[in-house]
This record gives sequence, C-alpha cells and structure tokens, in this order.
Amino acid sequence: MAQTNNFPETRFELEIPDPLKTDEFILNMGPQHPSTHGVLRVLLKTDGEIVESATPYIGYLHRTFEKHAERMTWPQVVPYVDRMDYLASMNNSLGYALAVEKMMGLEVNERAQYLRIIVSELNRIASHLVFLGTYGLDVGAFTPFLYGFRERERIIDLFEEISGGRLLYNYIWIGGVAFDAPDGWLEKVNEFCDYFEPKIKEYNDLLTFNKIFIERTANVGVIPADLAINYGLSGPTLRGSGVNFDLRKNDPYCIYDRFDFNVCIGKGEQGTVGDSWDRYYVRIEEMVESAKIIRQAVNQIPDGDAKETVPRNVRVPAGEIYFRTETPRGELGYYIVSDGGKNPVRVKVRAPAFCNLSILPAVARGTMVADLVAILGSLDIVLGEIDR
Amino acid sequence: MREYFKNIYEAIVTILIGMGVTFRHLFVPSVTLQYPHEKLKLPERSRMKLFVNIDDCIGCRQCERACPVDCITIDTIKAGKDEDLGAASNGQKKRFHVTKFDIDMSLCCFCNLCTFPCPTECIYMTPEFDFATYDRNNLIYHFSNYTPEQVQELKEREAQQKAALANAKTGKKPEQK
Repeated sequence: MAQTNNFPETRFELEIPDPLKTDEFILNMGPQHPSTHGVLRVLLKTDGEIVESATPYIGYLHRTFEKHAERMTWPQVVPYVDRMDYLASMNNSLGYALAVEKMMGLEVNERAQYLRIIVSELNRIASHLVFLGTYGLDVGAFTPFLYGFRERERIIDLFEEISGGRLLYNYIWIGGVAFDAPDGWLEKVNEFCDYFEPKIKEYNDLLTFNKIFIERTANVGVIPADLAINYGLSGPTLRGSGVNFDLRKNDPYCIYDRFDFNVCIGKGEQGTVGDSWDRYYVRIEEMVESAKIIRQAVNQIPDGDAKETVPRNVRVPAGEIYFRTETPRGELGYYIVSDGGKNPVRVKVRAPAFCNLSILPAVARGTMVADLVAILGSLDIVLGEIDR
Repeated sequence: MREYFKNIYEAIVTILIGMGVTFRHLFVPSVTLQYPHEKLKLPERSRMKLFVNIDDCIGCRQCERACPVDCITIDTIKAGKDEDLGAASNGQKKRFHVTKFDIDMSLCCFCNLCTFPCPTECIYMTPEFDFATYDRNNLIYHFSNYTPEQVQELKEREAQQKAALANAKTGKKPEQK
C-alpha cells in the first residue's frame, strides 16, 4: 500500500497498551512439586501463562558432603560420593576412585577395570531409564514409567548380586572393586543385554515417536550449541545441542579407549537441533551404545583377582588434582587436595546437574509454564547432586 | 487443511501403536509378589541388617574405626593375666571382655565398610530386611552377652587394678629417689 500522507506508519502502535498483558504473577514451583525431580524451588514470574523469568533456588537437599569428606578417611568418602547422584552411584564412585588412584600413582588390576566399566555402563542405562520414565510422567505419559522401571529392576538385581546394595553400592573402591563378580554373573549381564536391546523399540513405539509427545517436546526449550557451551553444559544435555563432546572419547579415562562405540548427538529430527526432544533422544540412543560397551567388556574380561590392587592403607601423597569423568548427567569433576594425611583436605565437586540447571533462566523466558516442565525434565537434574 | 487431518491421523496412529505395546502385555504372566505372604529370596551379599557373632569377637575395635557414621559403640575391659577367654573360631586369641557392643541401625548407612577389616569375620550383613519398629530406641541392637552386674564387677576389678598399679608406681618412685 502506498503511503498517501506524511504520518509515520507506526503512529498507531505507540499508545495503545497490550490488552492481553496482565499483572505479573509470582509463582513458586516446588520445592514439593512432582516434576522438579526432588526438592528444587523455581520462582516463576508469569504473565498469564507465559513465563517471564524463572529463578531456581537450590539447597533444600544440602548435606554438607564436601565438609564431611574432610573428616573422613580416604575410603570412607566412597559411601558419601555414592549419595550425591543417587541414580548413578557407580559413576560417582568411579570418578572419585580414579582421581585418588591418579594421585597415588596406582595401577589397577585389569579384571577390576573391566568390572568397573561394566557396572558403570549398566548404571548409565539404569539412570537413563529413570529419566525416560520420569520425563514421560512430566509431560503426561504414565505408562513408560512402568516400562523403564521394569528394566531398571533387572539392572538393580544384578547390582545387588555383585555388590549387595540396590541403590548405594560402595562397590568401586580406591584401587579396585569391593567384590569380584559371583559365578555366572557375567553371563547374566550378557542375558540382560539380549533382553534389553529389543526393548528400545518398545520405548520408541510407546513414547519417542508418539505424536503428542513430539508436539510437547519438539521445538521446546531450544538450546543453541554456542549457548550450551557458554553455560558449561555437559553430557547428553550438551550433545542434544549437536556438540560432539563425550569425555569417554575426547579425554579417555579408565579403559574406554579399548571399546568401539559412537557418540550420539542431537540432529533435530523432529524440530530444531537442541530442543527437548533431541536431548531426550540422545539418551535413548546412548542406552544402546552403553549396551554395546557392556557386551564388548564382558567378552574381553580377563581372569584374575579383582581385589589384588586394593591397598590395605590408603596413603595419598601431598598434592592436588582435578579429574573428570562422564556420568549419565555429564562431566563430573573432582578437585581433591591432599596433605599426605589420613583424610583429604578438600574434596570439591563440579556437579554436572548443577551446571546444567544454570541454563534454565536463559531458556525459560517466554515459554509456557507447561513447557517449562518439559524443559526442566529434559535437563535430567538430580537434586542430590546439585545440593550435595 | 491437509496438514490438519494429517496431524489427527498421525496422533491416532501413534497412540494406537503405543496401545498395541500395552495390549501385548495382557498375555504376559504377572510378576507381582504378594509381599507379606511371599518374600523374594535375596542374594547372599545383600546388605540389610548387621549381625555380630559375639562369640567370635575379639574386641579389636576395627569395625568401630571403619564406620563413617559412628553407629557402632564398643566397650572392652582387658582380661586378667591368669584369665583365659578362649579363642575365636579362626584361632585368634581373645584378650578383651567385650562388655558393650551396640549397633544403632537407625544411624547405619549400610556401606558395609565395617565387615571388611574384621579379623575373625564375626560382623556381617544379613539379608534380613524387615526390622522396622515403632520406637527408634528399638533399633539399637545389643550384642554383648554380659549382664550389667558382671560389667559392674569387671569395672570395679579394673579400677582396683589401676589403683593398685598407680599405688605401686607412686610407692616405687620415692624409693628410687
């Protein structure tokens, strides 16, 4: 339309207030909220149904782990690290054990190393299965929860057989593992892989490619790759944004360089790269890769005494170390200072879930409250690890 | 318009696929266990209730030191010179009266660290898991066999011995000088 007078086009937009704009409403989401995965309080400022800002408030599950660790002897810290990320205890204690072993310059028995890989990858699957179930719950699908926990139950039974614990294992020790595998355990692990791999199709039928689920998660909470890197995200949350970074490949620790597996990254199949669906699907694919690693490890495992290199008295020379490992949630770093005594002087933990949560205020702006639940769920936070 | 119907079609089809998965489970045997009537057999290594075979305990206190939450309290009194307390089942000689061996299961974190250093393997975790009580004090388990009277007697004897020793020392010192 050609301009016929001298008035600027924008003159009508200036003075009329937005009729849909309502008063700001402050809403506490949590600490007792089923979709905050523990006791997290998110303070929402909403404009109607739209979130204007979301501020996470943490600390409800603080158990002073780092202070406790200063009082404990070196092996006594292991049950405490188990309690940080209680869905993946094995991966937590693996990181701590590797860090202390590196300080001591200890070479771990081969069989123990393979057992460590098997249990920590099994734990990765178990943790992702909980994610699958609870994420379904968050967006309104109840059934996948039961399916996820069905398989997890079998993993936990395997753990109970080898370590005695069902949730907190105290299995990976400094210098090795607490027990060798009982007779027939490795065959059971192989059986589990055979049983588990076809189940992935079931999850995909049930949840992943469900149209309603895709509508709820695709294009929701998009985290571009540069934003993800700037916020220090790690693990599947980072890979969902299309960044190819996995510590098991990029900075191999333990014996991960002996196995053949792929790093799964988000491709934006259903929406844009880095949306909630991508972060979800990366975890599903990762379970397949973990099963692949477990199979290789079970086939390669040598005979030997798994407890051979466990020292009777742990003596750590004075010094400090930062050691990072890949847990189901991302990069778990331990910064440990030793003065050569019986206890660590300082154990600082760089918790992946803590850093992953920090991006919430940046992506929450302008989303619906219901979408915020989908975003929060896709970050896969565990409050035990955030608060420690 | 086409997109609209395509969306409806996709939603219905994917839900039906999901329903199919659920439907197949109607023909799978049920796995529910009627819990109080039937119980799962737990593996040997299950870490549930702590148990102490006090007859084998030599009072070395290693478990007490290993415990990260200090839920084990042990009191020991040294056996007299001419007293023979016997030996543990693996041949270790007992040198202490274990007058108190309490484990507070409400504090226990089930980490199993106490069972490894035990020289006679007398402390271990059992697969028994249903020991919930109404009172927290009922979770403190006493394993020692000594009656309070016996403990009192032993304590008095120890105090007497100590006093005698102290007397002997103070008595000797002036002589030496």
